[in-house]
Amino acid sequence: MSAPALRAARVEPRRQVVRAGSAFTPLGRRRRRLFWPFLLPALVTYLGFFIAPAAASMWISFHRWDGVGEMSPRGLDNYRTLLGDSAFLGAFVNTMIILVLVGASTFAMSFALTMVLRDMRGRRFVRAVLFFPYIVAPVVLSVLWGFLFRSPEGLFSAAWNALTGSPGPNWLGEHLFAVILVGLIWVNTGFYTTIIMAGVDRIPPDLYEDCALAGATAWQRFRHVTLPLSWEVVATAAVLWTISSLKIFEFIYAFGGTTNDMPTLEVWNSALFVYGSTFGGRVPQYQFGYASASAVVTLAAMTVLVVLLRRLMRREAVQF
Amino acid sequence: MVAERVPVQTARSPLAGGPRRGRDRRRGEHGPLRRLGTVLVWLLAAFNIVVLLWMFLAALRDHTAIFRSPWGLDTFGQFGNFVKAWTDSNFGQAALNTVLLVVGASVVVVLLSAPASYVLAKSRSRMSGAMAVFFAMGIGIPVQVIIIPLFVMMQEVHLVNTLTGLFVLYVALSVPFTVFLLSGFFGSLPEELEEAAAIDGAGAIRTFVQIVLPLARNGLLTALILNLIGLWNETFIALVFIQDSAKQTLSLSLLGFLQTQQYSGADYGTLFAGVCILVLPMLALYLWLGRRIIEGMTVGAVK
Repeated sequence: MSAPALRAARVEPRRQVVRAGSAFTPLGRRRRRLFWPFLLPALVTYLGFFIAPAAASMWISFHRWDGVGEMSPRGLDNYRTLLGDSAFLGAFVNTMIILVLVGASTFAMSFALTMVLRDMRGRRFVRAVLFFPYIVAPVVLSVLWGFLFRSPEGLFSAAWNALTGSPGPNWLGEHLFAVILVGLIWVNTGFYTTIIMAGVDRIPPDLYEDCALAGATAWQRFRHVTLPLSWEVVATAAVLWTISSLKIFEFIYAFGGTTNDMPTLEVWNSALFVYGSTFGGRVPQYQFGYASASAVVTLAAMTVLVVLLRRLMRREAVQF
Repeated sequence: MVAERVPVQTARSPLAGGPRRGRDRRRGEHGPLRRLGTVLVWLLAAFNIVVLLWMFLAALRDHTAIFRSPWGLDTFGQFGNFVKAWTDSNFGQAALNTVLLVVGASVVVVLLSAPASYVLAKSRSRMSGAMAVFFAMGIGIPVQVIIIPLFVMMQEVHLVNTLTGLFVLYVALSVPFTVFLLSGFFGSLPEELEEAAAIDGAGAIRTFVQIVLPLARNGLLTALILNLIGLWNETFIALVFIQDSAKQTLSLSLLGFLQTQQYSGADYGTLFAGVCILVLPMLALYLWLGRRIIEGMTVGAVK
């Protein structure tokens, strides 16, 4: 469940208007006494299953370890090896391609859909239909998507054949990564359309009427009204996408076809790399130290990207 | 709240049929570009529906027929596919495992997160603000980053390859998201009732159980449903932690089924029957509570 965006920074200000001295009312006092007893169970779980393992990953990444024997320190060697490992570099590049290319296409699609859906009949229905893939197991989506591109009986291959008269390339064999990229756009568009639509719906309609009176073109309307006024939502959605794109695993993995076989190296992303160099494949590698290093690199890259994104997309909020 | 909003009716604005319409047709609400867009949008929606329908139809057809004419309807009515998937491929056991695991974990994670979310949303100390941010950070940690230490940890306590272990992980790994979601809901509850309860002498725990929780039941239910969906579809953790086929969840069975197909010959009818077993409960839930699901999943980003 990755949906609600990391609006963390905004959780706090949204909280109730602080009443003067509320901490000293009977209610406030009681709540203060409750604070730790209520918080601790969740906090301990969180520390034990997120924070400690994240720290442990860092620690393990400086060692060679198969998970059973002794850890032997390797210093930065794991990281050095990563930089020369074409499998890792390929997986990292794929992760970035997914992040940028699928992200940009999904957002462009979502804006286009929003523009059309904004005052279309049956918008709720269409939105609900487009949203649905987002709550279906990625494994299932992967099986279905794969079947569409099977040659020659898949829908897509059949359509290609009908249009061009030739059987077309072997999509799953030669263009698997492209097939995966388009599939990811398909899965995610409905979700981001819903978010962006919610942002666009808040724009007062009279602004569009003003546009009409001023004779603005559709592009001008989009550029000077829709985009700036939904910017905050778009920025949040972009951070959300950055985070969730790194978590993509099953949709790609199921193209390998079984519980044991990894898909070809060309389509690995960094999540598959971690799995492939530890538990995955017919002969699991159990390279815990090395895989941890790759995970740390990915997490670091993501942190940098999120910070950069927030920087780049920070604008003066438009009041309306 | 996303879907509550009244659609913006710009179609009624002076744009439609205004005198300038002819000069710049692209701008017009019923211009050709718009009409093209509308057609494309419907095509996209139709695509989703067709894929879904095709999946159900294929699940009821014979394997050879699916390949002979993927878009035909012959041999329709092979309900045996479902029986075969359910018994031969272990989907029955997996379905039971999944239901118990997913329902149990969703309930427990909501119970565990609700008190924490409540104090995070309602107490106004700097500490609680920092804690809320700290919890939200967890949403940004991809599970592949922590999976190795988690595996070692679970191995230490002999919970690898057990459903109990998977249950513990499902609960624990859903905490940040649930806390994040719920503190939003608790934060939007009015103060007055709690104050009244406090003045009437109700203790803090009693106020929480009898006043706050019932008031927040909408949020609790949304959190429950979103966790149900997320865990129902979860594959990665199960893949790493479960090896016995008797302990598989549905998504693992589906992967396992793909594998047996490679050895004992493909049977796409049964495969799609298995796919349906995974999708149908989600579809039913979506038809029933779709708006709540959509709102819940997007609420963090928009409001």
